[in-house]
Amino acid sequence: MMKRWTLIVAVIVAVALAFVPLVGSDTMIQFGINALLLATLAQSWNILGGFGGYVSFGNSVFYGLGTYGTAIAMTNYNLPFGVGLVVGVILAMIGAALVGLPILRLRGPYFAIATLGLNGAMMAIFSNLPIAGSNIGLVLPLTRNDTMFYELALGLLAACTLTVLWISRSRYGMGLIAIREDEDAAGTMGVNATLYKVSALILASIFTAVAGGIHAYWSTFVDPASAFDSTLNVRMVIMCVFGGPGTVFGPVIGSFVLSTVYEVLAAQISTAAALLFGFVIVLAVVFMPRGLADVVKGGKGLSWRYFIRNIRENRL
Amino acid sequence: MTAAAATTPAPRTVIEARALTKRFQGLVSVDAVSFAIAENETLGVIGPNGAGKTTLVNMISGTLTPTEGEVIFEGRNINDVPAFRRAHLGIARTFQVMKPFHGMTVLENVAVGALFGRDGGEKSMAKARETAREWLEFTGLGRKIDLGADSLGGPDRKRLEFAKALAMKPRLLLLDEVMAGLNPVEVDEVVELIKTIRGQGMAMLVIEHVVKAIRSLSDRVMVLHHGQKIADDDPATVLEDPRVIEAYLGKRRT
Amino acid sequence: MVLAQILLNGILLGGLYGLMALGMALVWGVLNIVNLAHGALIMLGGYVVYYLFTLGGIDPFLALPIAMVVMFCAGFALQWGLLNLVVRSKMLNTLLITFGLDVVLTFTAQLLFSADFRTINPSYAGSNFPLFGLTVPIVRLAAFGVAVALAAALWFVLNRMPLGRAIRATAQNLVAARLYGVNPRVLYAVTFGIGTALAGAAGGLYGMISNLTPYIGASLTAKSFVIAIIGGLANPFNVILGGIFVGVAESLTALYLGPTYTDVISFGLLVVVLVLRPKRAVRAA
Repeated sequence: MMKRWTLIVAVIVAVALAFVPLVGSDTMIQFGINALLLATLAQSWNILGGFGGYVSFGNSVFYGLGTYGTAIAMTNYNLPFGVGLVVGVILAMIGAALVGLPILRLRGPYFAIATLGLNGAMMAIFSNLPIAGSNIGLVLPLTRNDTMFYELALGLLAACTLTVLWISRSRYGMGLIAIREDEDAAGTMGVNATLYKVSALILASIFTAVAGGIHAYWSTFVDPASAFDSTLNVRMVIMCVFGGPGTVFGPVIGSFVLSTVYEVLAAQISTAAALLFGFVIVLAVVFMPRGLADVVKGGKGLSWRYFIRNIRENRL
Repeated sequence: MTAAAATTPAPRTVIEARALTKRFQGLVSVDAVSFAIAENETLGVIGPNGAGKTTLVNMISGTLTPTEGEVIFEGRNINDVPAFRRAHLGIARTFQVMKPFHGMTVLENVAVGALFGRDGGEKSMAKARETAREWLEFTGLGRKIDLGADSLGGPDRKRLEFAKALAMKPRLLLLDEVMAGLNPVEVDEVVELIKTIRGQGMAMLVIEHVVKAIRSLSDRVMVLHHGQKIADDDPATVLEDPRVIEAYLGKRRT
Repeated sequence: MVLAQILLNGILLGGLYGLMALGMALVWGVLNIVNLAHGALIMLGGYVVYYLFTLGGIDPFLALPIAMVVMFCAGFALQWGLLNLVVRSKMLNTLLITFGLDVVLTFTAQLLFSADFRTINPSYAGSNFPLFGLTVPIVRLAAFGVAVALAAALWFVLNRMPLGRAIRATAQNLVAARLYGVNPRVLYAVTFGIGTALAGAAGGLYGMISNLTPYIGASLTAKSFVIAIIGGLANPFNVILGGIFVGVAESLTALYLGPTYTDVISFGLLVVVLVLRPKRAVRAA
């Protein structure tokens, strides 16, 4: 059970973040938009990955569908941004259902690897779609209003986190966790695993697609390489795992920390920043397999023994 | 758990197996076994290791599909019903190899049973926790509800398995060796627990090696040997049957 | 005739694919680790051979054994120093850590070797000879031969040598390694080392047939995974056959649908195989 003060702190932080555009510089706001959108991706990944225990390396596909749905609606049909987002979300939900039904029958590594190919396949399809501008891409109407994009991104992250908070306290979440811990046992206790897994993927696809749509309108340009950017998968998985999969605030904290570190490093050498992500996940799995959230929960009693114990539990 | 004892004059059949057979790549694990259990009735199942007892339970709970034969639950063929729907119908089981949900507390483990059990379970988290608490008190885990499930020792895990199944409010309870690995005092405690829930309308199938427990719990005892049913009668008759002693009990004595 | 040529190309390429998957199947079957960095290890092996050839002037086929020794040491160290720390945790965690390793290896390679295309180009690279009206490229034929020879060697080690018996026993039961008087940690590291050495050989051959870049790892991992599932984890020759199956399927796809779809076909095969034969997938896990 989450302690009350955790929620109070979270609300205060969220409100404080809402006022950043009033005081922050342009670069700070732009960094904020990126960080908030990435946190949303990590948090949506958390729904199936953290609670349901199904590691997907293909959620960037929903980001891409959201991106293209918004872009196609706005450029080809002159529809307003809001409608564009809805189109993107619907595309992503259909995609999640179509992908989820066959491959969520697969377990563990089979599921994970089956999702590895998704991003490439989608990129190939959209590169050949005239309505999506083939491999040239689409240019969206320009709107210079970073404050609006910032508040939208913040609102989206808040909505996504509230959803995860609800999941963590609901019957639905109990079902997902039961599937994560032992799918066969969950089934004999009455959990409809297929329904839960597919709906979790669809739920994740909604927030991921909206993040894609917001990013598309903000950056005003969409092409296959940016919409189906496979490094997005790397980042959302790592941020969530680093922060604490299956927790409510872990993925958000994890992505804020990593986005900041990444920003600092990327200013120096961009390859080094990418390398860092690799090292983070390797070290996180070894030393803190339950994520930053579990480390923080230890509070003052935390010492190096915590990390040693984690290794003891899992080494040969 | 406060449900009044059923007052129907003629006990209804809850579960019926008709010539259930399971083959694994040519090896016959269960060979045309038929039996029926009525409301308020407890069927004890004994047999040497590898006799097909757990396979039988797996076919009834839906973990395995039978190669041949039928599983009839309350008059309906449920061969094609997936495991989670069988749980909704009212079939609950324990696992011989215990399967607690590690990332959950003891209370949450049992709450899953209450949330997803018979008729799709309880929709309210608060009520499910309440139900879970009651069953944990009943099985003697009342003081350990907030511990992590993986911190429990062997006997407590058995109790947890039992509480999880009971929280599903089953019509049919399948107990797969809940007493294995317990010392005699603990066995007596579990026997008392099972006796308490008997006569509340539930049908029970109890797989057990502890002959004393089987004798005092079962209304009838079925013996499996090499996947075949070699006896099905009241406990006294079965446990004196020379074929049973030969196949099962005799080997134990030597 | 075109079809026959395409089939021959597919079979020769498929042998190499099988070799790629061999190491992954071994590590998966014995250590129960699905190594998502396997493709990156193939890539590294390719670069080792590339530099032995370009800087050291060693013929790439002679460089293969050297690269295998280097890669064996790298794999041994990786398992001993890192993966042994997490092998007993959930499969989710070993997936994640090898995923992280893949990222580390990819970007380290980018820093060290740059993102440029590299090809291992010995003087005989383009030569071929005619056979029954077909053209047989020498390098591809040799690569096929090396793949089959290494599969045979692995079979021999696993089935005829004490080390192999210990490895196979460990696949069934971790404690069994001790019965053979082997420290399981060492045995795990040796097994992973063998898998990495095989990946290294595959990388060297791949570099003679195709382009090396730091980014080829992910798609090679996926391909190896598909083949490991089709071929099974038990018998090296079946893995080679699985590779030939995928190689032929890819060549036919390139012929009839166009070369851009070759990567899609191995993914499609994976889904088809997994969905049609879920029981096998469950058993292998």
